[in-house]
Amino acid sequence: MVSTKTIKSSKSLLIDEYVQRLEQGEALLKDSPENLLEVVGILKSYGVVLDAYSVNLCYIANTQFLVLFPFFKYFNGEINPSKWVRYVWQDRINFEYAEYCMKSMFWHGGGGLDAYVDSPEFLAVVRQVIQAKFKYNPFMLGLNKLFPDYLPEHMRQMTFYSGLGQFWRVMSDIFLSLSDRYDNGEIKSIPDVVQHILDGLVADAARPITYTVEVRGQKYDIVPKSAGITFLMDTGVPYVEAIFFRGTPFPGTISYNAQAYQIPYDQGMFNYGALYADPLPIGSAGIPPTLLMQDMRHYLPDYLHEYYMERTRGEDDLKVKICQSFQKSMFCVTTAAVKGLAPHPLDTQDPQEKEANRAYLTNWLKRLIESQLITVNR
Amino acid sequence: MLSALILVPLLGAALMGFLPQKEPKTIARSVALAMAVSVLVVNIVLGFQFDPTVVGFQFAENIPWIEWIGLNYHLGIDGLSLPLIFLNSLLTVIAIFSSSKSIERPRLYYSMLLLLSAGAAGAFLAQDLLLFFLFYELEIIPLYILIAIWGGKRRGYAAMKFLLYTAFSGILVLASFLGLVWLTGASSFDYEFLRTQTLALDSQLLLLAPLLVGIFIKIPIFPFHTWLPDAHVEASTPISVLLAGVLLKLGTYALLRFAVGLFLEGWVVLAPWMAILAGISALYGASCAIAQKDMKKVVAYSSIAHMAYILLAASATTRLSITAAVFQMVSHGLISALLFLLVGVVYAKTGTRDVDSLRGLLNPEKGLPVTGGLMILGVMASSGLPGMVGFISEFLVFRGSFPIFPIPTLLCLVGTGLTAVYFLLVINKVFFGRLTESLSQLPRVRWIEHVPAFALMTLIITFGIQPSWVVHWSEVQAVALLTGG
Amino acid sequence: MTDYLLQTTWIIPFYGLLGAILTLPWSLGIIRKTGPKPAAYLNILLTAIAFIHGSLIFNLIWTKPTQQLVFPWLTVADLNLTLAIELSPVSVGALELVTGISLLVQIYALGYMEKDWSLARFFGLMGFFEAALGGIALSDSLLLTYGLLELLTLSTYLLVGFWYAQPLVVTAARDAFLTKRVGDIILLMGLVALSAYGAGLNFSQLERWANTSPVEPLTAALIGLSLIAGPTGKCAQFPFNLWLDEAMEGPNPAGIMRNSIVVSAGAYVLVKLQPIFTLSPVSSDTLIVLGIVTAIGTSLMAIAQIDIKRALSHSTSAYLGLVFIAVGLGQVDIAFLLLFVHGIAKALLFMSAGSVILTTSNQNVTEMGGLWSRMPATTTAFVVGGAGLFAFMPMGVFWTFQRWFNGSWDVDWWLLAVVLFVNTLSALNITRLFRLVFLGEPQMKTRRAPEVAWPMAFPMVALTIVALIAPTAPIQWPFWLSPTTPLNLGEESIIQLATPLIALSGFVGIVIGATIKLDKAWARPTQMIWRFFQDLFAYDFYIERLYELTVVAGVAFLAKLTSWFDRYVVDGVVNLVSLATIFSGNALKYNVSGQSQFYILTILLGVSLLLWSVLNGQWSIVTNYWSSLLN
Repeated sequence: MVSTKTIKSSKSLLIDEYVQRLEQGEALLKDSPENLLEVVGILKSYGVVLDAYSVNLCYIANTQFLVLFPFFKYFNGEINPSKWVRYVWQDRINFEYAEYCMKSMFWHGGGGLDAYVDSPEFLAVVRQVIQAKFKYNPFMLGLNKLFPDYLPEHMRQMTFYSGLGQFWRVMSDIFLSLSDRYDNGEIKSIPDVVQHILDGLVADAARPITYTVEVRGQKYDIVPKSAGITFLMDTGVPYVEAIFFRGTPFPGTISYNAQAYQIPYDQGMFNYGALYADPLPIGSAGIPPTLLMQDMRHYLPDYLHEYYMERTRGEDDLKVKICQSFQKSMFCVTTAAVKGLAPHPLDTQDPQEKEANRAYLTNWLKRLIESQLITVNR
Repeated sequence: MLSALILVPLLGAALMGFLPQKEPKTIARSVALAMAVSVLVVNIVLGFQFDPTVVGFQFAENIPWIEWIGLNYHLGIDGLSLPLIFLNSLLTVIAIFSSSKSIERPRLYYSMLLLLSAGAAGAFLAQDLLLFFLFYELEIIPLYILIAIWGGKRRGYAAMKFLLYTAFSGILVLASFLGLVWLTGASSFDYEFLRTQTLALDSQLLLLAPLLVGIFIKIPIFPFHTWLPDAHVEASTPISVLLAGVLLKLGTYALLRFAVGLFLEGWVVLAPWMAILAGISALYGASCAIAQKDMKKVVAYSSIAHMAYILLAASATTRLSITAAVFQMVSHGLISALLFLLVGVVYAKTGTRDVDSLRGLLNPEKGLPVTGGLMILGVMASSGLPGMVGFISEFLVFRGSFPIFPIPTLLCLVGTGLTAVYFLLVINKVFFGRLTESLSQLPRVRWIEHVPAFALMTLIITFGIQPSWVVHWSEVQAVALLTGG
Repeated sequence: MTDYLLQTTWIIPFYGLLGAILTLPWSLGIIRKTGPKPAAYLNILLTAIAFIHGSLIFNLIWTKPTQQLVFPWLTVADLNLTLAIELSPVSVGALELVTGISLLVQIYALGYMEKDWSLARFFGLMGFFEAALGGIALSDSLLLTYGLLELLTLSTYLLVGFWYAQPLVVTAARDAFLTKRVGDIILLMGLVALSAYGAGLNFSQLERWANTSPVEPLTAALIGLSLIAGPTGKCAQFPFNLWLDEAMEGPNPAGIMRNSIVVSAGAYVLVKLQPIFTLSPVSSDTLIVLGIVTAIGTSLMAIAQIDIKRALSHSTSAYLGLVFIAVGLGQVDIAFLLLFVHGIAKALLFMSAGSVILTTSNQNVTEMGGLWSRMPATTTAFVVGGAGLFAFMPMGVFWTFQRWFNGSWDVDWWLLAVVLFVNTLSALNITRLFRLVFLGEPQMKTRRAPEVAWPMAFPMVALTIVALIAPTAPIQWPFWLSPTTPLNLGEESIIQLATPLIALSGFVGIVIGATIKLDKAWARPTQMIWRFFQDLFAYDFYIERLYELTVVAGVAFLAKLTSWFDRYVVDGVVNLVSLATIFSGNALKYNVSGQSQFYILTILLGVSLLLWSVLNGQWSIVTNYWSSLLN
């Protein structure tokens, strides 16, 4: 009993410590030259990978909707023998991971996009698209009658393909420009990194998220601009919630056995997201983020690759090291998001505002303290 | 030709002393490896020239040595010894290959290793009882030193225990040999000559008793086995490989060659008891293995259990069972060597063999995944999974012994079942699960370190699919052992 | 040409093995920079080739009499071991079923496992699995079959243990292996005994032996029982039934194989061994008793499960129980038909369950609902699979039961009672699951449920079509395999009543399943008595606990005792003898830290001591000898 009490009190102490840190303009991740090198380097390769993911998600959403056998959905429309050979050899970006994130986001829901795809306006347009697409396909139309939610659900998923693709477009640009500025010597500390990301988020916060498809020359606005879906609140925040915090349980570490009750009933209690995941099993069976780490290994900047080579097993445990750096960088992104969403500027001197900020931050930290935060700062 | 098998390693051992002290440590290793490989080559050549259809010894060399006591330097090879000689030279290469490059006092170490190999080869080749005894004793000394210097924490205790046990075993064997010559009134210790002599049953039993105790210590059979787990635990990996793979086989070889070969009538009288003892020993070893926490002890007790099958097969004295006994020696030699090697890798990388503090080593990035995969296969081979050599050798043992001693055979079969139990407990604890935090900084394993294990695995599978390649070497001679041919 | 083709049949299982070997560069981590998918494609390709090759043979074999291909393996002393395969419509048909389902499952796995970086290892294991199963289908030798059953045990262990870092997998894989292994070892005992009693190990030789060389009744009974043990473990029959429940921790595609084909492989072997069981009534009776106990017990367990995979897997044991009964009665044709129709239906149900699991990240049926309108392929697969599993709709199992009870066989009222019971509970279970998963309002986890992608949907639809045409097998099947010739007892009341009763039992099951109150997540029955029964069934009658307290505890205790005895008694006595050890051990300590020269001295000393003891005081002769040599 004594020990649990001390753990509890040490936990609230830790929360206070991190809240103070944030108030003083620091990030969740400690500032150190190694951390900076790891974070910027990994965000550079993440930016490259996200760029590819984003392009592909948008391609799928725009051209592969209502296609039952999308054999070439990862080809981005460019089908030739050499690309074919590379894809059979799986010498390519693992777009499965992008889809995994999309499905995760779609499944967890939340935000304006999630609400909009349930609206009658959405359904009305989708019905038109289905009728247009399968004009000469009585089988699919019949199936649509028999299972009325089948194709609309598919289009909802396509909408999320597009939504996540557009979200990642912005993020990729932020990370790549961060790397450029670092190479120019403009980024010197972790707080600089956070500020750069924050600026990027703020700049695009109100950017509209839309989704338009074309069938037989006719354009359909599935998510029109008028729906008022915006970048930060309707894709960014749900993304952070679904991917950073909740995630889905990895079959490689968690039992799905219903009678074992390892997975909570309430999705809100899920803590399998990027900030929580254990980096050690990366590379093992049943750990989907391995795909992302594998993708990033191809685009590591030289300085980071050298840094990894000097540590532990060099090339042999590269994916685990990438994951550890990646988690660090995600804490920087989280810091930026926390700062951006704060009710008042964090350096405010107004006591009332300070109070409100403090309550807001403590709330975040209560969730974050259970994550890998302590480990990455050790 | 046969002398080369003894002289080349002896020469190598002697050469070590002349290597300049200041040379890099690897030179001793290279010399030793060269010697061991050349012995292996000679062995392979011998294997090709060997005619498995001929009864009796081939390539014999006979030089009178000390005529007045009847000691001859008489070497020969037959179907019984050929597989074992081969096993010896193969495992010597593997042991040298898997010795640490930065070992202390390399010259002494490698010379002892080669001396050990020469001793074992001599014992398998000797056609003279006294000569056999000399080599049998000769091999004890280097092994004692190898454990006493390069062993673990309690090496002094383990080495001395080993020395006392095996020296005692040697004395008993010698007593029996001397008695044999005295009772038959023979003028020579020559094996083939002594086989033609006849002895009354009670004299046979009288001579068998010390011989068997001596042999049982060496194999080892319950209750004379306690030196083995200690010796294994304290010995370094290459030594364990040789101890399990080759030196224990001296005991079972002597069992077939002398106990069965010279005292067949007496042996048949004792056989029912021996079969029961084999059953008990198999179950006892398995049962002890379940309770062990040290991976190496598990393998060591498993060794005790599996060596008992050879006693069972020898007791049954059917044509099939004797052939199977030789095959089981080879099979156990390969499998136990593999398991000790792999446990050695785990120990070398993690610094522990404690089942409770190891977990999740299958982790592909930071663990020992290839070692784990090989370990799973090795364990399966040991528990008699078809397709690997352990199955067919044990099947032949059981099939050969069942008509004569059904109940002991069934006991041994239960022991085979238990093999899976204790090994799987270890595997699932050590290799499955999440990698423990304390093991997250293990050094990397290079592919070359896996070469010995892969080589053994290849043989285990090859002989498992093509058992006749081994069986045909020894079949004729094994049968001859029973007919006095 | 035809003969030549037939001679190549043995190659078919090797395609799977080749596929398994070809995955090694990826699964060993030799190829790390690119992904493991090529390994998957290679395996699918090889399985497709195996399927096509098998189809060719299957077309040829119809007109041919049953043939044997015998391969000599090992001749030693008086023992002659041969491996034989049988070429008959049944064996090649079974092979086709194996490769066909394996092909569909592998395509399915391409979708289900797409995010898994250990894909190569998975496909390697699947290839190995397929090879072993295909071998069993063809094998005509008990020795070969035994070997392949063991390899099946190994690959089950590795497949269940695929997600080795997951804590429940660790125990599940171990238990699956050990449970099956117990059965295998007992089977091996039977095998050794049979061989020792002079029976050849090919099935045809065994049949001849059973007819001509009678052994004592006790021996016959023991041999029969030992041969039953292997299939009992494989088919997840009481008392070896729990591993199948635990094995559901493994990836679902392997689960599809396991619940349809692998359990059937065990029963297939049982059918092949049937002639031996005629030696002793004990073995047939045991088969029937085991079958009845399992069928009833696991039917009850199934209806209390909340895990979608486990609810289906317990039902597998129940149907295999019926197969055991059929074999025990010598009604081999019915056993084959049951295996076939159950295998297809169960594979389909598991495919459907897999797509539900992947879409909802969930296996708990009480947290599901409302999926039907959004997942057409999955829903159809479940409906068709479910309808084929119990007798109500004119689908596979219905026709099989109909032919069982239409007067061709000697059936009894107790058998009808068991079948009615299993059928009712099975109907209840499937209806209950269908309501929970597909009907009702969507819950949180089933709110967003798009249909699965084509790699999973395509095999599902393909198998749905197969399941729809599968009933032709029980309708068309000529009874030609069973040792007892079919009777014609059209007049007895049981014959007239059976089919309507069975259909009625299916209907009753559906009605109960459709009307009972189903609990949603976290809700539990309030009445104590219901709770008691729910827990009793849900936790498999607490058999696992029982084993833990008896067998496991017993072995552990014995091991501890032996180890203690070894350390303190055996070693203690020995150490008394070696009190001197400690004494001389002290003396040795000095040596250990000494110079290497010292050791060489020790050796020389030792060797010369030995020589001295041999030559004892006869040095003059030695020197004379050596000088004579020198001269």
